[in-house]
Amino acid sequence: MCMRVESDPMSLNFDAEDDFCLEENRFKQYCAEFIKHSQQIGDGWEWKSIKDFPDGYMSKTHFQMKNGNTPSIFKDSTKESDEQTLTRVEEALDDSQVAGICATSEVIRYEYHVLYSSSYQVPVLYFRACFLDGRPLTLDEIWEGVHECYQARLLEGPWDTITQQEHPLLGQPFFVLHPCRTNEFMAPVLANSRRENRNINYITSWLSIVGPVVGLNLPLSYAKLVSEQNTKAD
Amino acid sequence: MTDDKDVLRDVWFGRIPTCFMLYQDEITEREAEPYYLLLPRISYLTLVTDKVKKHFQKVMRQEDVTEIWFEYEGTPLKWHFPIGLLFDLHASNTALPWNITVHFKNFPEKDLLHCPSKDVIEAHFMACVKEADALKHKSQVINEMQKKDHKQLWMGLQNDKFDQFWAINRKLMEYPPEDSGFRYIPFRIYQVTTERPFIQKLFRPVAANGQLNTLGDLLKEVCPAAITPEDGEKKNQVMVHGIEPMLETPVQWLSEHMSYPDNFLHISIIPQPTD
Repeated sequence: MCMRVESDPMSLNFDAEDDFCLEENRFKQYCAEFIKHSQQIGDGWEWKSIKDFPDGYMSKTHFQMKNGNTPSIFKDSTKESDEQTLTRVEEALDDSQVAGICATSEVIRYEYHVLYSSSYQVPVLYFRACFLDGRPLTLDEIWEGVHECYQARLLEGPWDTITQQEHPLLGQPFFVLHPCRTNEFMAPVLANSRRENRNINYITSWLSIVGPVVGLNLPLSYAKLVSEQNTKAD
Repeated sequence: MTDDKDVLRDVWFGRIPTCFMLYQDEITEREAEPYYLLLPRISYLTLVTDKVKKHFQKVMRQEDVTEIWFEYEGTPLKWHFPIGLLFDLHASNTALPWNITVHFKNFPEKDLLHCPSKDVIEAHFMACVKEADALKHKSQVINEMQKKDHKQLWMGLQNDKFDQFWAINRKLMEYPPEDSGFRYIPFRIYQVTTERPFIQKLFRPVAANGQLNTLGDLLKEVCPAAITPEDGEKKNQVMVHGIEPMLETPVQWLSEHMSYPDNFLHISIIPQPTD
């Protein structure tokens, strides 16, 4: 049975040689679809382009208290730019009016970037965290914010390593989930979707697996989006 | 006629005479003398500077010594770039020795990766080797090797043992007889002028018509601004291991003979010096 659906740009490339590889233009298409849904639900993901190059990446920033709560002042932060949010925080701290914030040292800014690796032909998750005064968190400090059940999984999972690497587009230190085993854990997901003849968004599936391990959670509505598409097609 | 294998030795044994000086604001108990060292082009700063660290620690108090980092003319030097690349990119057209400033305070968190141990250098090196093989052989050759072979690559680099290293690395330089070369060429192009640390793209060593792609073909596709227009003045040098290879050189040959131990061709585009 021929699985290649040429007319549908969202279908996976079922070229036998490349099996479950994600080609770069499809990566961009899946990201565009993902971001469109993110905008609908105010989840804060956006596409960032690199000047003078066709490259880009998906980016999300969110703020969290050290104890895991989102301070009330940040509830609308997904609808504003980083600078706007920071200004509000600084003003509030000056006024000492906001009861929800203890001290600048307690608020952590998390940044997640999804880039494409042409070497491995998979997406790669880059992330970093810092306190509002700019002090970066170490990997151990980031771990403290990850739910216990994922900490155990990380030690035994096929993600292998999280190391500090240079961001290939920005040139700054980030932590990275190494991409060389991505095909290993994506293969069953993709095989299932193939078997059931359902379209999936590679980025949604991939991010829902690796995200929680580093403190990034996806609202369930992302899954509903894809199944709606399938229902319409049926 | 020179054997191509001589090129492998010339690349491996390339050295840069370097003068290390302690940053003037570091707190010392007595004056610190400069330290001179021949740095291997193919290695990494934090792998070969134990003696430098010991030398300067002798004049400092124990509590003032934290993570060492290096800087050249105000630019923090990335230890995860090979030494030869750093020199070609930042200092190739200045007089020798290469003057590097040593710091123990105020680690630039936004610019440099931390290097707490040799294990971090090994992990970085092996990650590059694996990525290069993903490009060359879809990871088949590196994955077929045993852990002890991977270790031998690292130990060969760490201990400056050419034969030990190449006993394993030669397998990473092979390709099926029915092909004319690797699947894709592992390369990175560096320029100081951009925020972006390097350009890396998929590039085949052989064109659709079966002809071998050259260095000029690679640049035309990936970094056209680096090539001198026919009637124009030469604005840039395209440098690998301190020399400018002819643009007619096949990239397959360059990849086999002038890659760094991490199996990548690290190419610097620098301004043409005005004599």
